[in-house]
Amino acid sequence: MRTGYTISAIGHALVLAWGLVSFSAKPFEVEPVDSVSADIISERELSELTAGSKTAKQVTKPVPVVDKIGEVKEPKDPVQKVSDKPEVRTATAQPPAPSTPDVKPPEPKPAAVPPAAVADPPPATVAEPKPEPDPIAEALKREEAKKKEEAKKLEEAKKREEARKREEARKREEAKKREEVKSDLDRIETALLDKRAPQRQTVTGSMVNPTPSLGSTTGNAPQLSQNELGMLKAQLMSCWNPPVGVSEAKDLVVTVRFSLNRDGSLSGEPMVVNRGRNTLFQIAAESATRAVRRCQPFRLPASKYEAWQEVEVNFDPNDMFHG
Amino acid sequence: MDDQSGMSSLRSDSLSNGSVNLPLTRRNAMILGAAAGFGAVVGFSGGPARAVLRFDLNQGNVQPMPIALPDFLAGSPSDGESARGISQIITANLKRSGLFAPIDQAAFIEKITNTDVQPRYPDWRAINAQALVTGRVTRQADGRLKAEFRLWDVFGATQLAGQQYFSIPDNFRRIAHIISDQIYERLTGEKGYFDSRIVFVDETGSKERRIKRLTMMDQDGAGVRYLTNGGDLVLTPRFSPSSQEITYMSFGQGEPRVYLFNTETQQREIVGNFPGMTFSPRFTPDGQRVIMSLQQGGNSNLFVMDLRSKATTRLTDTAAIDTAPCYSPDGSRICFESDRGGRPQIYIMSASGGPAQRISFGDGSYSTPVWSPRGDLIAFTKQGQGNFAIGIMGIDGKAERILTEGYHNEGPTFAPNGRVVMFFRDPGGNAGPSLFTIDITGRNELKVPTPSFASDPAWSPLLA
Repeated sequence: MRTGYTISAIGHALVLAWGLVSFSAKPFEVEPVDSVSADIISERELSELTAGSKTAKQVTKPVPVVDKIGEVKEPKDPVQKVSDKPEVRTATAQPPAPSTPDVKPPEPKPAAVPPAAVADPPPATVAEPKPEPDPIAEALKREEAKKKEEAKKLEEAKKREEARKREEARKREEAKKREEVKSDLDRIETALLDKRAPQRQTVTGSMVNPTPSLGSTTGNAPQLSQNELGMLKAQLMSCWNPPVGVSEAKDLVVTVRFSLNRDGSLSGEPMVVNRGRNTLFQIAAESATRAVRRCQPFRLPASKYEAWQEVEVNFDPNDMFHG
Repeated sequence: MDDQSGMSSLRSDSLSNGSVNLPLTRRNAMILGAAAGFGAVVGFSGGPARAVLRFDLNQGNVQPMPIALPDFLAGSPSDGESARGISQIITANLKRSGLFAPIDQAAFIEKITNTDVQPRYPDWRAINAQALVTGRVTRQADGRLKAEFRLWDVFGATQLAGQQYFSIPDNFRRIAHIISDQIYERLTGEKGYFDSRIVFVDETGSKERRIKRLTMMDQDGAGVRYLTNGGDLVLTPRFSPSSQEITYMSFGQGEPRVYLFNTETQQREIVGNFPGMTFSPRFTPDGQRVIMSLQQGGNSNLFVMDLRSKATTRLTDTAAIDTAPCYSPDGSRICFESDRGGRPQIYIMSASGGPAQRISFGDGSYSTPVWSPRGDLIAFTKQGQGNFAIGIMGIDGKAERILTEGYHNEGPTFAPNGRVVMFFRDPGGNAGPSLFTIDITGRNELKVPTPSFASDPAWSPLLA
C-alpha cells in the first residue's frame, strides 16, 4: 500500500514536472484566426448613405460640370407662323380699297396763358405776428429732443457693436484663411516651382456633377463601397508598381511588415520578413517597400487603430500578368 | 492551423512517452491526461502575440513608373550637347519601353549641381518620382568621354546603381543605350534591350519599281546605314549572334540565293552551292551554321550548313513545303512552318532532324515562327479570313495570345530580352509597310521611325 502511494506520488510528481518543463518550453501559440470584418449598418444609415450627404447644398437638379459652354442653338421652329406666309392674291380679286387714313382732328392748341397770370403777385407787405414763447411747449420739445438723442445714441452703439462683430468675424475668417494658406504652403511652393505649362482637361457637357446632392437616388457615399481592409488594399495597390521581371518568376512573394502611427504614417521602416537569394528578389523587395513608403499616410479609420497598427502584406504579383 | 496540428502531435508524443515509463493503467492514463491538460494550460498562459493585420496583395498598378531624368551635367561647356543628348536618349528609351513615365523636367524642384552627393529626396518625392537618374559627362585628357550615372531610389533614399563608362565622343549614343539598359534592368529585374540594332529592308520608289535595300539602324531608329545599293531584291535578313554578320535572301539576275554579309568588312558571299532556290535563312545560336530552305521541285526541305567546313545536312525530307526554321536559344530544337498537314502550321523537331510535332492548332494558318530568346515563347504570323495577326504561344502550343490584328501584319522578331516583338505592317493600297513594336502583353504598340517604308525586321542580340 505504502509502495503504491510512493510510486503514485513519485509518478505524479514526475509527470507534472515533465509536463511543466516540456510544455512551458514550447509555448503553444494560437494563430489568430482571420475574421472577416464586416460593417454592420442600420437601415437608416444605409438610406442615409444612398441618399447622399445631409450637409450638401440642396440643388433642384443635378448640375452638369462643364468648363466650356457651347453656343446655344435655338431649335428651328418647324411650324412657320401663319402671318409670315405671303398673302395669296388672285388676278380677279379687287385691289384693296385704299383705306382712308384715320386722321385725327388736330388737337386744340392749349389756350394762351392769360397775361395777367404771368405777372408776379405783388409781395405781401403785411408783417407776420411773432409767436409768443410757450414755456410748457418748450419743455416738452426739449424732452422730445432728449429722447431722440438717446435713441440715436442707442442706435449708434448698436451699429458700432455690429460693426465690431463684423470686423471680428472678418478677422477670424482671415486668420483661418492664413492658417489654411500656411498649411498649404508646401503644396503651393511645389506648384509654383512646377514650370510645366498648365494643362487642363476641359469638359464640354456630358459629365455629371460628382458632388453629392441631397436626395439623389444614385448617390454613392465612399463609406459604403469598402471596409477598411479594402481601403488599405486599394491604397497599396495604387502605390505598387510590380516590376515586370518579377511577374515572370513563379512564387516570388515578398512579405513586408510595417507598423503605423495613429495618423496613418509609417512608424519606423518597413521590414522585409522573408528572404530570397537572387537579385530578382531584391528588386521585388525594393518595389514592395517602395510601395509602402509611397503610400503613407494611409487613410484609415482612427477609431480602429488597434486593428491596423501592425500590418503584414504578402506582395504577390503572379496573378497580375496572367489574367 | 499549423500550430493546432503541432499541438496534437505534441500531445500524442507525450502519451507514447508516458506509456514507456509507466504501466498503462486507466488511472495512470487519467493522470497523464490531466498532466497533459495542465501542461497545455501552462503553455497557453504564454499570452497571445500582438494582433497583426495580414493580407495578400495580388494586384498592383500597371501604370508606368514615374522616373526623373534631369539633364546630365557637363564637365565643360563644350560637352553640354553630348550630356544633354545622353539624357534625352535615355529618356526616350525608357519612355518607349512603356514601363516608365519620365517626368517633365519643368516640374523639377531641385536643380542637380553635383552628382556625387545624395539628392534632396523630399523634393523628388513631391513630384512623385519613384526613381531618379543623375549623371555627368566629362572630357578626359586623352580626348575620351567619361560618362557616369547614379540611379537613386527616391522613396527608399538609397542609391540603387552607379556606373561610369569611357569611350570616344562619337559613341555617346551607345553609352546612353547601355545606361538605359542598366536602369531598366535594375528597376524591372529584366535584361534591357536598348543597346541593340535592327536590320530591315528599306523600300523606296513607286509601287511598281520598288528599290529594296538592306538597312541597319539602332533600335530607336537612329544611325541608319544602308548595306546594299538596291540593285538586287533583298528579303528576310537575319543577324548572327555576334551581330557582325547578316544572312539574307537576295535575287538579282539569277535564282534567289542565301547570302552572308559582314557588316564590318562589307563583304558578302553566297551560302553554299545548291541546285535550286535557297531561302529563309537563319543562324544557329552558336553562329557557326546557317539553316535554310532549299526548293526542289514543288516542295522545299530544311538544310543546315556549317559555315567553316561547308558540310551540309538535310533535316527534313517530306513532300511538303518546310520553311521558316528557327532554333531554340539552347540550339537543341527547331521550330518551323510546314504544310504537310494541308495548311501551313508550326512544327517542332529536334535539331538533328527526325519526327516533328505539330504545336499550332487554331483556326487559320500559321507561319514565320520565331523562338523567343528566353526560350519560353514562339511568336508567329496567323492568317485567316483576310486577317494577318501577330501572336505568341507557349512552346507546347498552349496559351496562344494574339498581340495585334488587322490587314497584313507579318514577320515577328523578338527583342533581346524577349519582352517586345517587332513586326511590319503593310496597310495595302499606295502606302507601304512600316515597322512596329508591341509588348508581349499586347500593350504599348508603337511605330518605329524609319527613313522610308520598311519591312522584314530582325532584332540583333545585345551588342555589349
